[in-house]
Formats: sequence, structure tokens, C-alpha cells
Amino acid sequence: MMNTFWLLFSAEWRHFRAAKGLVLLCALLLLTGLYGIYYGTTEIERQRQHLAALPELTRRNVEELKVKFPGPADAGEIGYYHSTYAVHHPNAWASLSLGQRDVNPYYVKLRLLGLQNQLYATDNTNPMKVLSGNFDLAFVLVYLFPLLIIALSFNLLSSEREEGILTLLLAQPVRSSVVVGAKLAFRLAVVLGLAWLLSVVGMLWAQVPLDSRVVTWLGLSTLYCLFWFGVALVVTALQRTSAFNAVTLLGVWLLLVVLVPSLLNLGVAAAHPVPQGIELTIKQREEIHAGWDRPKAQTMNRFFALYPQWRDTATIRERFVWRWYYAFQHLGDVAVAPQAAAYATGLQQRYDLVEQLNLLSPAINAQGSLNALAGTDLPTHLQFQRSATAYHDALRAFYYPYLFRQAEFSHHDYALEPTHTFTSQPELSTALRGLGKLLLSVALVYGLGFGLLRARPISPR
Amino acid sequence: MMHSIAQKEFVSTLRDKRFLVLSVLVLALLLAATLVGRASYQTQQRERQLAQHTVNDQFRRQPARHPHRVAHYGSFAFRPKSGLSLLDAGIDSYTGTAVYLEAHQQNSVNFSQAQQSGSLIRFGEMTVAFVLQMLVPLLIIFLCFGAFTQERETGTLQLLLSQGISLWQVAWGKILGYSRAVALVVAPALALAALLLFSGEEFASGPDLVARLGLFVLSYAVYFFLFIVGAVVVSARQASSRAALVTLLGLWILGCIILPKATANLGATLYPTVTKAQMDAAVHEEAQHGINGHDPQDQRSAALKAGLLKKYGVDSEEKLPVSVGGVLMTESEAYSAQVYQEHFAALNDTYRRQNRISDWVGLLNPYQAIRPLSMGLAGSDFAHYVHFQQAAEAYRYRLVQRLNALQTSMGHGDKERKLEASTWRQLPVFAYQSPTLGWAWPHLLLPVVALLLWAVGLSWLGLRLISTTPLV
Repeated sequence: MMNTFWLLFSAEWRHFRAAKGLVLLCALLLLTGLYGIYYGTTEIERQRQHLAALPELTRRNVEELKVKFPGPADAGEIGYYHSTYAVHHPNAWASLSLGQRDVNPYYVKLRLLGLQNQLYATDNTNPMKVLSGNFDLAFVLVYLFPLLIIALSFNLLSSEREEGILTLLLAQPVRSSVVVGAKLAFRLAVVLGLAWLLSVVGMLWAQVPLDSRVVTWLGLSTLYCLFWFGVALVVTALQRTSAFNAVTLLGVWLLLVVLVPSLLNLGVAAAHPVPQGIELTIKQREEIHAGWDRPKAQTMNRFFALYPQWRDTATIRERFVWRWYYAFQHLGDVAVAPQAAAYATGLQQRYDLVEQLNLLSPAINAQGSLNALAGTDLPTHLQFQRSATAYHDALRAFYYPYLFRQAEFSHHDYALEPTHTFTSQPELSTALRGLGKLLLSVALVYGLGFGLLRARPISPR
Repeated sequence: MMHSIAQKEFVSTLRDKRFLVLSVLVLALLLAATLVGRASYQTQQRERQLAQHTVNDQFRRQPARHPHRVAHYGSFAFRPKSGLSLLDAGIDSYTGTAVYLEAHQQNSVNFSQAQQSGSLIRFGEMTVAFVLQMLVPLLIIFLCFGAFTQERETGTLQLLLSQGISLWQVAWGKILGYSRAVALVVAPALALAALLLFSGEEFASGPDLVARLGLFVLSYAVYFFLFIVGAVVVSARQASSRAALVTLLGLWILGCIILPKATANLGATLYPTVTKAQMDAAVHEEAQHGINGHDPQDQRSAALKAGLLKKYGVDSEEKLPVSVGGVLMTESEAYSAQVYQEHFAALNDTYRRQNRISDWVGLLNPYQAIRPLSMGLAGSDFAHYVHFQQAAEAYRYRLVQRLNALQTSMGHGDKERKLEASTWRQLPVFAYQSPTLGWAWPHLLLPVVALLLWAVGLSWLGLRLISTTPLV
């Protein structure tokens, strides 16, 4: 039995080599995958360079302030003119799956003013480019590998039937399942060989650390490929013509990779209407600018209710004083805190719903899991925003003593200011859940395929 | 004879169950996308109108304030959706919806749909354009791949030719027949869209919308015609149905998925975008140091003050009829706005260069010709977006300068005083007039030329190829 298997397997190899089109297709996919890796790594490298340039901008800003305020300065002036950055560093895996890193800003410029209208400022992006999307390794694996699998296996048995070889083959003492098995196994070897090769090249290129993520990535891509071979098995078991198989397989691809995601996107948006972020900005502006017109004592009392530690500071009698200014800036943030929380929770709920429904499409599941593994999706971005918020709190905590105790801000105080750094962490649990769901999908299609084959044995005609 | 072939293809297509299922599916998707497009148009448009109304109202109802306070309070400009964007949302989901307009700086347009959708949106958005650009060509491929190969495989092609009809006529007959079948699928959806557009009160229907919709339908007709001719030609040149199908699907994947992504990314690699942080720093640097870089702000304002004293023939600031602060604000706003404009122009230029690569590839790939054309007609492309950005900036500049003029006229000691609340009601609010087709036309020239070249080239070259195709 084993011998027949290897015989058929090696016969497939000879066929494959002879079929120039298929070799060409594999070579093309290999090149496409390499381009994907190249693009992903250069894109992340560019982001790293941009992030690395930020401290220099801060340094130049400080130099300028030291010239502007040669002696000890009012900390309020510094807080107003001085800007620093909250930065979101990619981890090495981001090169292989860029996710939403091109849409969501990966740094936030912060001043001591109200946080909310600084937090959502987008970086310069070309909308046409983001519309077309990223060409990274994850795209090649999730989008294009199924197409290679379809091209390799849409005529698994049908072409032999159409050429009349199947009658001859089945006249031999071979079980038809061995024939199908050997043919599938050969194609699986070719595809998985390619997927693993590209993954390993990608990992080396991106210099990822050798930990459990390597196994998870390989597991995800292997199961995803296996799923598509399962779909091919089901269609083969229907025993129709090559043209029918091609149309059906492509229909399934279209359904799972294109239609379900776009319909799900509509459904999720309808199920969880996210309060428009703009409401928040409008409300905050009202709140902050009304601060100028309100009695100072009222503003300060509201502020002291939140920060009682400054209650004993001097009563404000001046027309303008910085600590009052920053107090109403902060009260503007406090006023829209419910909206800000609702915005973030709304986004998180959308993400969670997709997480629950992605069993409908292994493509969404695979893409989501790879992004989670690389730390490039929405939860990581929300984490970054929380981290930036904490940084803004730290900045305020740093400046408040100067402002409320009316201490002078001298040149060496710049160096004491807190700095921020955030590096995305993988969400391994999400990726592992994705792995489990993929396993389930794989079991489902193979169960269906073998069931069909058992119910209707392969006929030579 | 040609017409009877066309009739035969049309009828047999309608009888083909596979095609029936597929076309019903595509039609259902088209109708659904139209209705969804309208619903999302309505919600977004309502949200934006309401928001614009709210901020305008807030602006008018401000208390007595110092004009510079009002300039900092600023305003918002919301980008209205264009009526046809219900058919093709273009880049609308990836651009922000609102820009904050304030003194001293130009802000970016924030809060895009893409940021609110997670990674799902990256698989593609279900819009009419998406179905027309990607799915209908697939339908055409499934419909036409066997046009010649099947006839050849069953031996009916020779029978046909023995009737004295030429290959050329057979090919045109088939093309006509398939065109009718495709029209049957697409026309109802476009008719519904037109009905929604012209019956809905929320759409400003006028000759411009009619022209845009007409051209929209026409360009897609050319686009589908291309695919039909292309598929028939490939079918004639390939040995078997299977080979024809695989070739056509390969071309579809290359044209509709791989090439657009690859060219967009190539553009971004060739012409790198400057980050907002870098741009802000550069703007700040220039605005601080002025043109020659040796004239710090304090010295400039001292010179300005001296000039004013001389002009009005007085010896102290208190005697001036104008506020020095107001004049200074006016000058510095003019200067910083110009610096910003230069930087934004350079940025948009970089984007244009990045996008131009994709536009030129339209000469090789019809998908990359129909996509910009369709967006451009729908008013959801990059050029229309820049038009809005510039309108918002022009309004911002005028508003801030009016407020600066008010401050100037307050005379010396303006800082301690306020202008009464009724002042703000006299200032114009932001109202956006989207550009006409005449304005958009130059941006659409390249894709139009590309599409026409394809149509003419394919019809001519393809059918010549068919004439020389082997019969067996």
C-alpha cells in the first residue's frame, strides 16, 4: 500500500515538473511572497526610522526653549510651547503582518493641553495607498495561497477522468482513496514547502526572536493551507468537471475571502454604532473655551475636587495664570471622559464581535490571528492609546508642582521630564484561539470531504 | 446571421443554471450594495450636517469675547458626502471627515471610518463599485471562457463555419449576446441607483449629477465590454476550456488584486511621505525664523511697530488708532498660512506622484483605469478630497483674518476688552460647494484615455487574432 502511495506521489512530481504552467505559478508566488517580506520589513523599518527621529525633534524644541527662556521660566510657558511624543514601537513580527499600523497613528505629539484633541490626530497618510492596502507576507498567505491551492487542485481527478486515464488507473489494484491521498499529499508538500520557506525567510529577514510565536505562526499558516486543501477535497468528492470545480472553488474563495468579510464589516458596524469621535472633540472644545468665560473660582473648585492635594495653593487674583489655564484644559478632558470611554469600548466591542464571528471565514480568522501575533491590530492600538493617556497623566503630575507651588522651571528640569515608550506585545491568547478555530474548520471540511467520498466512491467516468 | 448567434448565446446563457445562479447572486449583491450605500450615505450625511449645524450654531451663539479668543475657538469643516458616493465610496472611508479650523495652524482631517473598522475593512468594502469592478468581471469570465473552446470541443464550430459565416462574425455575435446577458444583470441595479438619486430629496440632483451618472454608466459599459471581448479572445486562442478559464482567472487576480496593491506600495516606496511630526517641525521652524532666517520674531514686531508709528505720525502706541497686536496677528497669520500652504502643497504633490504610478499602470490594467475614473465621477477621489481641504483652509484663513481685522480696529488696549456677542453672528459660516464635472475633468483624462485605448485596441487586435485562430 505504502509503495503504491509513493509511486503515485513520484508520478505527480514528474507531472508537475512537466507542466510548465504550474512551476511558473509556484515561482511567481515565491517571488510575490519575497516581495511581501521585502515590503513589510522596509515599511516597518521606515516606521522605526520615523520614531527614531522624534527624540531629535524634542531635543531641538528644548534647545529653542532654552534660547527663548534663557533664565528660569514659568513652567506654564514650557508646558505650552514644549512638545514630546508618545511612541508605539513595532515588535519584529509587525514586518510580517502590518495590520492596521498604516491607518492608526504610531506616535502622538503631546503638549500639556487637553489630551483628547491631541490623541486622535492622524499622521500623514495617502488615502489612495491605504485603500489599496498592504502587500505583506500575511496578505500573500491569506489571500494568494488559497488561489495557488485552487490552481493546483481544481482538476485533481477530473482532468484524469477527462483524459480517460482514471479508468486505467482504477483498473489497477489501488484504492481510490490512495489515489486521491497521494495526489493531495503531493500538492500539500509543494504548498506547505512554499509557505514554510517564505515564513522562515520572513522570520530571518525580520529577525524575530525564537520563541513560541514561531511555532504559532507556522501552525496558523499550515492549518490555513490545510483548510483550503480540505475545500478542494470536498469539491473533488463531488466528481464533476474541471470547469465546474474551478468555478466552485473560486466561488468559495470569493465567498470566504471577499464577501463574508465585507458583509461582516457592514453587519458589525450596524450592530455596534460607534459614537462618532467628532462629537467628543466638539464637546471638548465647548468645555475648554467656556473655561475662559467662567469665574476662576468655579473652575478651580471643580479642579480641586479632583486633585485635593492642590487645594491649599494661593487663590488666583491675576487676569491670567497658567495653573488656571491648565486646570480648565484638564476639565475639558474630564467633561468628555464618558464619550472617550464609549468610543474606545465601541471599537473594542466591534473587534470582539468579529472575533466571535470569524469562525464563518477562516480567512478573517487567519488574518486576525496573524495580526494579533504581530501586535498590529486594534486591541494593541487601544493599549497604546491608554499608555499615551497614562503618559499625559505623568506629564501633568510632573508639571503641577511647578505650577501650583509656583516653582521656577530651570534648564536642568527639562531632563527630569518623564518620557514615553510603548512596544506592542503579541496577543498570544487571541492567536491561539484562532489556531483552535482553524483546527475546527479543518476538521469540518475533511470530515465532509471523506464523508462524501465514502458515500459515493470515485467513478472512472 | 450574426444576430441569430447573438440571440442564441443570449438565450442559452439564460437557460444555463450556473449562470443564472451567479447572475442572481451578483444582482442581489448589487441591489443590496445600492441600498446599503444609500443608508450609509444618509446616516453619514445626516451626522455631518448635524455636526456642521451644531458647530455653526455654537459659533454664532458665542458670548462677548475678544476676537483672538474666537479665532482660537475656531470652527470645524465637515466634508459632505457627494451624492454619487453611494455608488462608489472611493477613498472616503480612509480620509477623515472633519477638520478643526483655528488660528495659527492648519490641522489634519481626522476620524476616518477605516480607524473604526478594525482590519475587516481591508478585505474590501461592499459598495456598488466593488461589485461592478471586481465581481461582474468574474461573472463575465465564467460566462465567456468557453465561447470558442466549447464549440471547438463539441465540433460545432466547423458546422457553423460551413454555413458560410466568418469567424469574425461568430465572435461578434457571441460578444453581442454576452453583452445583452451582462446588461440584464447590471441594468436593474443601476436603474435603482438612478431612481434613488433622482427621487431622494437629500440629493442635489441637477445637470451635473445627471452628467456624472451618465458617464459613470457609460464607463462601466466600456469596462464590461472590454472584459467580454478579452474573454472571447482568450477563449479563441486557448486549446481547452480549462486553459481558457485558468488564464482568465489568472489575469483577473493579477489585475484586480495584485497589481493595484503592488503599484500603490511601489509609489509609497519611491516617493516617501514626510511624517506629520517632521512637517510640523519644519513649518514651525520657518514660521519662527521668517524667510531670511536672521530676523527673529521680536525684531520683526519691533520694526512693524516703528512702521505703524511712522505711518500714523504719532509717537506712542497708545495714540495709534489701530491695535499693534491685531496688525501683528494679521501679518503673522498671512506668513504662517503661506508656510503651511507650501508644505501641504508639497505633501499633496508627493501623494499625487505616488498615485500617478497607479494611474499610468491603468494603461496596462483596465481595473486601474476604471477605479480612478469611477471615484472621480462619484466625487470620492483624491482630487475631490484635496478640493475640500483647500476650501476649508481658504475659509479658515478668511475667518481668522476677519477676526484679526476686528482686533486691529479695536485700537490700543484691545486685550482688556471684548466685542459684543452679536459680532459673531455677522461672520459667514463654512459652506462647501463640491466641484463640478468640468473641474474634475482634467483629473479623469488619463483613465478615460486608458479605457478607450483598451476598448479600441482589444476590439481591433483581438478580433484580428480571432480571425487567424485554429479551427480544431
